[in-house]
Amino acid sequence: MEAFLDALNSLGQGFLNMTWESAVMILIGCALLYLGIGRKVEPLLLVPIGFGVILGNLPLANLSAHDSGGVLNLLYVSGILTELFPVLLFLGLGAMIDFGPLLANPVVLIFGAAGQFGIFITLLIALGIGFQQQEAVSIAVIGACDGPTAIYVTSKYARDLLPAVSIAAYSYMALVPIIQPPIMRAMTTKKERATLMPAGEKQVSQKVKILFPIVAGIATILIAPMGAPLMGMLMLGNLLKESGVVGRLVDVSSNTLANIVTLLLGLCIGASMLGGNFLTWQTILVFLLGFLAISLDTVTGVLLGKLMRVISKGKINPLLGAAGTSAFPMSARVVQKEGQRANPKNFLLWHAIGANTGGQIGSVMAAAVMLAIMNGMGIMPLG
Amino acid sequence: MDWTFGLTMTIAGMGVTFITLYLLTLLIRLLNKLFPHKEDPKEDSK
Repeated sequence: MEAFLDALNSLGQGFLNMTWESAVMILIGCALLYLGIGRKVEPLLLVPIGFGVILGNLPLANLSAHDSGGVLNLLYVSGILTELFPVLLFLGLGAMIDFGPLLANPVVLIFGAAGQFGIFITLLIALGIGFQQQEAVSIAVIGACDGPTAIYVTSKYARDLLPAVSIAAYSYMALVPIIQPPIMRAMTTKKERATLMPAGEKQVSQKVKILFPIVAGIATILIAPMGAPLMGMLMLGNLLKESGVVGRLVDVSSNTLANIVTLLLGLCIGASMLGGNFLTWQTILVFLLGFLAISLDTVTGVLLGKLMRVISKGKINPLLGAAGTSAFPMSARVVQKEGQRANPKNFLLWHAIGANTGGQIGSVMAAAVMLAIMNGMGIMPLG
Repeated sequence: MDWTFGLTMTIAGMGVTFITLYLLTLLIRLLNKLFPHKEDPKEDSK
């Protein structure tokens, strides 16, 4: 009888060790699952993240990313802390992306730079609020609208913020169709939004498409070597695609590998979200600053768009500036929708896709530049 | 607040990102000039 009671006692340990923080985090995990499954918000990420949150917060399960020796700890250490997962995701991203519209109309690449300026303004604000330098950089990079880049930078400099930064980055990326339109309308007149641009798709030679990832990869890595893993993989993936001779590698990079990494990345991020480090005021501030960063990116992008409209004597629609973020292809779709709303004859999608792919390059470049500057100032990554 | 860090990061960060992407636009223009798109002769003959 005593042995029977001991056995029952052991079975109930999970309930006995449940804290209120664990219970709240499990509810948050369920909410993320609801958003992913019920509302179809970034389901590929929110489903593994949501379940990872639940697994990581179940008492005595040894499945938190911080539980030394646990399965998810092993994946977290080898995939996130080494920055392997975000880098591999960039290989898949490169293999999926078509730089054709950007190569045919290279001027839109400038929007990819302006679409990152919000990052730097947010950095100043985060420093002003009192965040440490490394934390401020990690929070600001949410404005890149680029999950893998945000994870890459944060895992280097502010691992405590990794759960909040990654959730914010992916959530806001999905919320771009809600965040951007009011800003775009507030920043422009109807006449500006109605600016027509040629709808025809210009073609570029296959040689240019093959040479671009090689040339751009070399140039950008020489300027900011700290971003080499991200830029290198992005350009390698794109070269695989454009070369036309390694279809199997393109298929693996853009499908199997990207899917496996997305699953493991989401699971690890979820399992790293523990009540103690997530249920804090700091997390709320991270979310607020992330929102600010993405909003400011839209503002600076549209402002450059307005300037380009003046310089080009009315040939460039300023809404294109909003597509300079890295939220691909959501920002481009938003630009198309807002442009057509102002003028039904407007067809901006092709130009906006070009600016949006420019935003992909811009976000990696902005992160690489920040890492290079920090390195130059003697602020080293965590060991 | 660390103004030196913040302002260096903001000014240098924006500047270098912008200049790098501008240089890339020049590189793309050069590539397009060196290797202009030619219509597929097979399509022309159809």
